[in-house]
Amino acid sequence: MKFTSTLKAVGTAALIAFGAPVAAQDWEPNGPVTIEIGFGAGGSTDTMGRVLAEVMKEQTGWNVIVENRPGGGGVAMFTSLSQRPVDNQTIGMGVGIPVLVQLVQRGDELPFDIDSFDYLGTIAKAELALVASADAPFDTLEEMIAYAEEQGDMPLATMAPPQVLMMNATTKASGVDFNLVTADGGAEVIRLILGGQVLAGFASGEHFPYLESGDMKVIASANQSRLSYAPETQTFIESGVDAYVDAVFFLAMKAGTDPSATAAIAAAIDEAVQSPEIAEIVRNAVQGDPINMGPDGARLMMVDGLENAERLFAN
Amino acid sequence: MVDFSIILAGFGDVFTPFNLLFVVFGVVLGQFVGAVPGIGPVMAMAIAIPFTFGLDPLPAIAFLVGVNKGGLVGGAVPAILMNTPGTPDAAATAMDGYPLTQQGKPLKATKMALFSSITGDTFSDIVLITVAAPLAVLALKMGPVEIVALMIFAFSIISGLMGESLIKGVIAAALGLMISFIGTDPEHFTPRLIFGFWDLFDGLALPSVAIGMLAISEILRRMAEGRGTEGQGILVPDTGNPEDRRVSWVEYWACRYTMLRGATIGTILGALPGIGSTAAAFISYAMTKAASKEQESFGKGNLHGIAATESANSAVVGANMIPLLTLGIPGSVTAALIISAFMIHGMQPGPLLFQNQGRLVYGLFGAMIMANFINLWVGQAGLRLWVKVVSAPKAVIFSSALLLCFVGVSMATNGLFGVTVMLIFAVFGLLMHSFGYSMVIFIIAFFLGPQFEKSLSQAIALLNGNLLNIYTSPVAVALLVLSGVSVFWFLSKRTNEEADTTNLGVPDGETLDQKNP
Amino acid sequence: MSNMTDRISGAFFLVFGLAMFFLVIPEYVEDPQGGNLSPKTMPNIVAWVLAICGGFLALRPTNHAAPDARFFLKTTAYVAILGGAIYAMSLVGFLYVAPVLALVLMLMIGERRPLWLGVGVVLMPAAIWFLVTQLLERALPG
Repeated sequence: MKFTSTLKAVGTAALIAFGAPVAAQDWEPNGPVTIEIGFGAGGSTDTMGRVLAEVMKEQTGWNVIVENRPGGGGVAMFTSLSQRPVDNQTIGMGVGIPVLVQLVQRGDELPFDIDSFDYLGTIAKAELALVASADAPFDTLEEMIAYAEEQGDMPLATMAPPQVLMMNATTKASGVDFNLVTADGGAEVIRLILGGQVLAGFASGEHFPYLESGDMKVIASANQSRLSYAPETQTFIESGVDAYVDAVFFLAMKAGTDPSATAAIAAAIDEAVQSPEIAEIVRNAVQGDPINMGPDGARLMMVDGLENAERLFAN
Repeated sequence: MVDFSIILAGFGDVFTPFNLLFVVFGVVLGQFVGAVPGIGPVMAMAIAIPFTFGLDPLPAIAFLVGVNKGGLVGGAVPAILMNTPGTPDAAATAMDGYPLTQQGKPLKATKMALFSSITGDTFSDIVLITVAAPLAVLALKMGPVEIVALMIFAFSIISGLMGESLIKGVIAAALGLMISFIGTDPEHFTPRLIFGFWDLFDGLALPSVAIGMLAISEILRRMAEGRGTEGQGILVPDTGNPEDRRVSWVEYWACRYTMLRGATIGTILGALPGIGSTAAAFISYAMTKAASKEQESFGKGNLHGIAATESANSAVVGANMIPLLTLGIPGSVTAALIISAFMIHGMQPGPLLFQNQGRLVYGLFGAMIMANFINLWVGQAGLRLWVKVVSAPKAVIFSSALLLCFVGVSMATNGLFGVTVMLIFAVFGLLMHSFGYSMVIFIIAFFLGPQFEKSLSQAIALLNGNLLNIYTSPVAVALLVLSGVSVFWFLSKRTNEEADTTNLGVPDGETLDQKNP
Repeated sequence: MSNMTDRISGAFFLVFGLAMFFLVIPEYVEDPQGGNLSPKTMPNIVAWVLAICGGFLALRPTNHAAPDARFFLKTTAYVAILGGAIYAMSLVGFLYVAPVLALVLMLMIGERRPLWLGVGVVLMPAAIWFLVTQLLERALPG
């Protein structure tokens, strides 16, 4: 491997010497490019990441592999990414809001901030919904709060700290307490709802088959705007709880990565996101279209997101 | 209900030469990669998924099913032949499998593992195909409260394996739990006991810990032992008796209740989330031993020991597909990887899967059954090959196995940090073994610890912060009573036995290594 | 004294459990507000179990005897070699370290036949390289 990279260096030097244009696309990884996914196998982030890797591999000819590093809604993965030396070929894939909330709440304990990464782009936007079993005795957030007040102890499943904070905001606004059950991801939330252990919970796509089969219903949108697939359902904000989370799936590398590497990889991601394969998997996973905001857009999303998170979730 | 013609068409799809070929490919790859020390079945699946991207859904999924099932059979091979299990469940198989190898009967041991693995697997596949939907609904009723009770029950059964010193068994379990707390806590996602090493934020990787403690420490111990055996292989020479190279029908049939028990335990635990094959293997082993009239022969090469563990851990895999297909809920790491593969191939596991893609599902079922037959057939040849391979001189075997563990753990855990952790736990395993603490109990506790803590936190929320409210769940109460009864039963047995044993304080199943007691 | 082994390990766990409870857990585990189960609860319980069982074992040991010093010396040597190999891999990569490591280990075990040494030093690392980088398209450690 050392030898081939030397050869390549010699080749590049020769190209420069002969005045050929050196575009960003001339960058080649030395060994496999790894996409580290901040969530476990089987979820929507994982599935999109795996297809993205495969499409990138086909289009660029690089060897792109996927690894799962679950924990803390992506914080574990970004933490470890920020702590390892720059290797120019490890990409982190995560969701914006859980990382931002951790930064707001324990920024001084975390070994990274939003400037620790070079952003590559985004792939999709997830719509976070509060869902319940179809036979739950409420249809809207207000009705749910009223029901919880009447019952005294309504169990509700969350899968990451931001959702806990949304429910705390709900409690603050309404004075009603909830029994929050921490689940290990969307699939477990669904299981707890179907099993009747909790009445409602947060999900970001795992519930679609059950909406289709009529086993579940949507109670509220946890985003800033209403859900694309349930436009008549109100948001938390419209229901009087001034809190929202917007979850964008983004990709980043450690800050200080060789600019030609980030440029080449960002271009590869952009090309991949436009492919029909990605469109299909994004539709399956989040019921929306792929969105690539590009490196600058992804960075802006994080900077703006941090401001929003500071406003909403500061202790 | 799915139309009968769709079921037939689905099964028929598997029998095209093209699709069958992929099942065979999968099984061969799974058996081979699963048997390599340090790599093992889960890694085999993770490696295989990208190979399926270009395929149609049925051959792709048939291939993965083959890898999964082949990996299970392969995983038992290093455990039996070299006493170097790569996963905690294989450690259960090693308890009786390796003694048989030491008696010059490696083929008998591996074949028993193969036969009972396929028996357990077929049992759970049949359950899956016939009663998946009602079973899944039943499994959903097992919420966090019941899971906590079930795990306490599992621990109580496993306490039957504690060996001669109860205190040392409890210490081993407590230590395993303590180590499992390293990493993110399950409720607040705060970093815990990571001492500034952010690589530990996801917790210690199971492959590092399991391979370090179970495989590397065993290799190190054997390398440090005895001189004068340099040129020899690690296998005891074959006894020369053809009886010892095969498993007779009589021997197989004698284990029928053991395998039925194992398959039932595996199927039940497989249909539930989070407990998985390790607990199934050890519970089945402990119950088989407790039910046996010749308890002292366990850990010394009893075929029932192999049959109990292999039938149980293989049954888990088929049963894992029950919540996976009907509800889209994975019960294990491999099941989660299969869900990703399904979604990539346009299958959406869940309530509408059988309606929308019935033909594909029955094609998958057909592939599962075929994979079992092919597993049996490939396994017969593969086992002979492995027995040949490990008859190489021990220097070659040990150095190669160490290199493979380095590479395998590095691939599974993202680099040399995981390999370093592996070496640390190898030292830890050596110390524990030298001082007479059970590594197996440590690993079980380490493995179940995070799930237990998470379920406990969920259960507390569901019981309004007061665990005494558990009386609201009859199932949980029944399980807790059963746990109490079984602990009491094991303890009373222990005091009866204690009178006539020379109390060495060595854990059961790890007693064989008497050269360096 | 045949039961010294258990007295030593029992005393170790007594001290370890207490040290965890009083020193390590307060320092390295957070205690966030609210919630159902504090990150501290389970570690604290387990620390006490370790301390109590360790103390009990030190008082009432079994007859277990640890292996002799020679065994520990030999394993220490092997562990040192493996540790050195990991460090070397972090510097120059698996491909250069693996054959050397295999050679040293095989010589220490006592293998002297050139053919078998060749198998372990050349054939195995080459096979691993082929399997991992060519067939599986993964990176070797390093």
